[in-house]
Amino acid sequence: MLATQLKYDLLMFTREIFYMVFTIIIPPVTYLFMGQLFGDAMYAGNLSYAETYTPSFILLITFGVVFFAFGFDQVMNRTTGVEKRINLTPVSKRTLLVSNIIRSIIITSFGYFLIFFIGMIAYDLSFQPANFIIAFMTFMLFNAALLIISSAIYSLFTSMNGALVFSIVIFQVVMFTGGFTMPIDMMPKFVQVIADFNPVYHMNQLFIAVWNGQFQVDNSSLLSSGFIIGCVVASLGVLRLVNKVRK
Amino acid sequence: MEIVRVNNLKKAYGDNKVLRGIDFKANAGEVIGVIGKNGAGKSTFLEILMTLKPYDSGNVLLFGKELNGLSTNQLEHIRKDISAVLQPTQFYKTLKVVELLKLFKAYYKSPVDIEQIITDFKLQPHRKKYFDKLSGGWKQIVSLAIAFLSEPKMLILDEPTTGLDPHMRNMLWLYITDYNKRTGGTVILTTHNMDEVELYCDKVMLLNDGINEMFDTTEWILSTGYKSINDFYLSKVSI
Ligand SMILES: Nc1ncnc2c1ncn2[C@@H]1O[C@H](COP(=O)(O)OP(=O)(O)OP(=O)(O)O)[C@@H](O)[C@H]1O
Ligand SMILES: [Mg+2]
Repeated sequence: MLATQLKYDLLMFTREIFYMVFTIIIPPVTYLFMGQLFGDAMYAGNLSYAETYTPSFILLITFGVVFFAFGFDQVMNRTTGVEKRINLTPVSKRTLLVSNIIRSIIITSFGYFLIFFIGMIAYDLSFQPANFIIAFMTFMLFNAALLIISSAIYSLFTSMNGALVFSIVIFQVVMFTGGFTMPIDMMPKFVQVIADFNPVYHMNQLFIAVWNGQFQVDNSSLLSSGFIIGCVVASLGVLRLVNKVRK
Repeated sequence: MEIVRVNNLKKAYGDNKVLRGIDFKANAGEVIGVIGKNGAGKSTFLEILMTLKPYDSGNVLLFGKELNGLSTNQLEHIRKDISAVLQPTQFYKTLKVVELLKLFKAYYKSPVDIEQIITDFKLQPHRKKYFDKLSGGWKQIVSLAIAFLSEPKMLILDEPTTGLDPHMRNMLWLYITDYNKRTGGTVILTTHNMDEVELYCDKVMLLNDGINEMFDTTEWILSTGYKSINDFYLSKVSI
């Protein structure tokens, strides 16, 4: 059963142009395009373009997949009545959820390797097994955190249009305040303030550090981790509340 | 054998008291039509029977089990024996008809042969089409085909024939009556077409002002002097 659901879940993802554009197309293209413009610059921590932006764009894909194909998709199924028809069948909610989570992990991992592969070809990114394993584990943790946060946020939507507008806006906001375009410290003050409240910005900072073997326990990494954990805990609270109310 | 028993069922949406004490009963093999004006609460009633909606008070027994007391697990178990066409039924819009059939076959762990269903329901020309792109009538046919995948003991249909042309309507009724004869399954449906009720339903329940103003056999209603069920409806229900 799970295998069948997963197969069709993946198939549906590939047929939804809108998801494909925001996950598998925009991030890699932006990654390459920015590389053309700023490929020779050096960034914080004495890192090259590829060292900074490869982990960033992996994270951006993950964010896109989790928010669109996981979160928004749930609102769509709930509001169009697809969920109602499925509720009528004996299939368990857990099977559906697990399939959805596995789908996200498969697609985001695909994004991970896609960006990494582009980086190796275009920017001579090197492959270091030890670092790769640690980075991949961190990526999985962020994946889990994003799944929980997006579940909570989208559980609050009762209309598909609202959720759609929100998704597109939040994608822009995250892209600009998450450090995916210009470095945040080169941005206006208000952007920096928003960034401080953007969990994806904190993930990005941590991920870049882990990716390059520069992670250390200090004030800023503790603050970032703490903020992410806070968001996850708050999201779990929201999910619990919504589940109670829906019953 | 008793399939459904409902006693004094009440359901309100906020201040809107839609069902104010319904009594209802369905036995194995019966075809029962639920009628009433728009907004009378027919869909609400059916969705409660489908285990989709909670209710405020009263009893709903499906296959002898009170719904309110069931765990999620037990509900999922009971859903194996129920199938339905909703008003309107929606499916994943980026799956093709044949893919939907396969997916729902897996949901129901059904032994039914998909190719047989496709032949039976004349779906061959539509098998590769997205559900979203089908005409309203074919959507209904596909919904019904999917409902039959589970070989249900009870089939609930919410306005299955609304919007169908006369041939499609006949075809749909052919499937429904055939299912009923072949498997002895119970059918509970709503419709605004009183001729259908007269032709195909053993019993009629008239929902009016939140109660079952009438619940009896079609035969009996006609024997009390009404020319037709349409006549009966018009004289019982005011605008
Ligand atoms: N989810 C809901 N939330 C609030 N009110 C609802 C909801 N669903 C239905 N209602 C209200 O309950 C009443 C009964 O609606 P229902 O859909 O059961 O009627 P119906 O008899 O099926 O009508 P129709 O013949 O038009 O299909 C209506 O007043 C409707 O506005
Ligand atoms: Mg209705």
